[in-house]
Amino acid sequence: MTKFFARNRTEPGRRRFARFAILLAAGLAVATATALAAGTQVYDSKTRKWVNYDRTKAYRHWKQHKQVPEAFRPQMVKFRTAEKPGTIIIDGNQHFLYLVQPGQKAIRYGIGVGREGFGWAGIVRIGRTAEWPTWTPPAEMVARDPNARKWAGGQPGGPDNPLGARALYLYEGDQDTIYRIHGTPEPWTIGLDVSSGCIRMNNDDIVDLHSRIEVGAKVIVLMQGAALYKGV
Amino acid sequence: MTFAWPWLRGALAAAAVVVSHGYAGAADLVIAMPNWSSGQATANIIKVGLKKELGLDADVVEMGTLIAFTGLDSGQVDIHPEVWLPNLDNLVKRYVTDAGTVAISPTGVPAWQGICANRAAADEAGIRDISDLQDQKKTAALDTDGDGQGEMWIGASTWSSTTIERIRANSYGYAATLTLLEMPEDVGMAAVDAAEATARPVVFACYAPHAVFKLHDIARLSEPPYDPAKWKVVLPSEDAEWLSKSEASVGWDAAHYHVAYATSLREKHPDVVRFLERMDLKPEEAIDMSYALQVERQDPYKFAEQWVAKNEARVDGWAKP
Repeated sequence: MTKFFARNRTEPGRRRFARFAILLAAGLAVATATALAAGTQVYDSKTRKWVNYDRTKAYRHWKQHKQVPEAFRPQMVKFRTAEKPGTIIIDGNQHFLYLVQPGQKAIRYGIGVGREGFGWAGIVRIGRTAEWPTWTPPAEMVARDPNARKWAGGQPGGPDNPLGARALYLYEGDQDTIYRIHGTPEPWTIGLDVSSGCIRMNNDDIVDLHSRIEVGAKVIVLMQGAALYKGV
Repeated sequence: MTFAWPWLRGALAAAAVVVSHGYAGAADLVIAMPNWSSGQATANIIKVGLKKELGLDADVVEMGTLIAFTGLDSGQVDIHPEVWLPNLDNLVKRYVTDAGTVAISPTGVPAWQGICANRAAADEAGIRDISDLQDQKKTAALDTDGDGQGEMWIGASTWSSTTIERIRANSYGYAATLTLLEMPEDVGMAAVDAAEATARPVVFACYAPHAVFKLHDIARLSEPPYDPAKWKVVLPSEDAEWLSKSEASVGWDAAHYHVAYATSLREKHPDVVRFLERMDLKPEEAIDMSYALQVERQDPYKFAEQWVAKNEARVDGWAKP
C-alpha cells in the first residue's frame, strides 16, 4: 500500500520561473547545492497529514531507511494516456517521472528537479545515452567555484560524479538541449527541488529507466514553472 | 500523435500538404484522408461502406485540406470526410458557392469548445462555471509551480483558437487569476493525464469530439451562450492592440463538420451522393473513433470494417435507393 503521496507546497511569492541563464550557471552543482528551498510535501498515512519534505528530513529519512519515501520509489501505477508505451512524461511539480507502459499503466519514478522547476517545458526526445558519463561543469561554475575548477576538463564517470550512473541526453530535433535525465551520488535529494535545470534520479532508478528506454523516445516535460516558455 | 483539428488550427490547415500522391490508381473513387483520427476513421468507414453497399472501390489518400479541395475541384478527389464550418468558410465560398465544383452534405456533426475541468477541479475545488475561474480561492488549487496562482493550458501557440482563448480570459477576467499556458497539445494533454494519475485538479481549454472525454472523467464548465454582440475578435495579424480591442465574454459559437464531395459525382454516382448525404455520425461516435485510433492505436481500416459490421442496418439505410 502506498504510504506517501507527494505534492508541491504552495509558496506565495516564490519566484515562478527560472531563466535559462540561471539554470545554465547553476548547471549540475549537486555537491555544492544549497538546496534549502525544497517545495515538496509528502502525505503521511499514519498521521493523515501533509508534512514538509525538506533537505534535512530527506537526509534523515535516507539515513534511517536507506531509501527514499515510498512515493518516490519506482512503482507501477495506473496512467491513462493517449501517449504510446515508451514515452516519458515528467511532472516536476510532483517530482514524478512516468514511463508509459502498455495497458494504460506507467512505471513511476521519483525525481529531483531544479530549485525553481525546470524553467522550460515542451516535447523533446532522448538523443543519446551514456553509462557512467563524464561531467563537465559549465564555464560560469568553473569561474566561481574552486571545487568545480579542477574538473574544468571533465570529471570522469564514477560514484562521486554528479551525473551518477547513467545520463539520458535530451535533444530537440538534432540539437542537444543541454538538459539531461541523470543519476546522482546524493539519492536523498530525490523528491526535492535542488539546484539544477536537469532531472535527477536515484542511480538504481536511472539504470532501470536506461535499460527500458530506446534512443529517440519521446519525452514530455510538463509546464510547471515554465509559464513564460513556449518550448525548449 | 496529435489531437488537433483543423478548425482549431486555422493557419496550419491552410498550410497542409499532400503526404502521399498515390491517388492515381485504378479505384472507382478517391477519398481524401485528413491527419486527425476521426477523419481517418470516417474516410475508411466511407471506403468500407461504399464497397459493401455499392461494390465500389475507393482509394483513401492522406492529404491536407487545401490540397483536398483543389482535388475535389479538379476531379482528382471525390470525397472529403470532414470539412469544418465555419472554419473553412473561405474554401466553401470559393469551391461550393462560387465555382460549384464541390458540394457539402447537409448533415453536419456538431462540435463544441470551451473550458474543461477534471473531477478533482469540479468537485473538490468547486470549479464548475466559467465565473469560478475568477475566484482566486478556487483557482489556487490549480497551482503547479508554487507561486500561489493557478495555471491553465489554453492551447498550442500555433492555433487560432489560442488567441481567442486569451481574449476570452481577458474579457471574463480570469487572465488576472490564472497563468495562461501555451504549449503543444501533447504537453497539455499529458498534464491532464498526470493530474488524473494523482487525483489533482486541472482546468484546460478543450474541444469535443475529443478522445480526452473517454480517457478521463471530464466536465465542461458552464458559461453564457454565444452572443454575436459580445463577440468581437481582433486578431494579432490585424492589429497590434488586438487584446485591448477584443471582447469575448461568452461561449464559443457552435461549429459543425460535414462530408464534402465533388459535384461531378451527382452524375457519375448519384448512389454515392445519396449515401454521403445520409451519413449521420454523432459526436459520441467521433469520440469513440478518436479513442480507438489514438489511444488504442487501432488500424483505421480495420476499425472501419468493425464499425460498419456493427452498424450494418444503419449503413444499409444510407445506401437504400
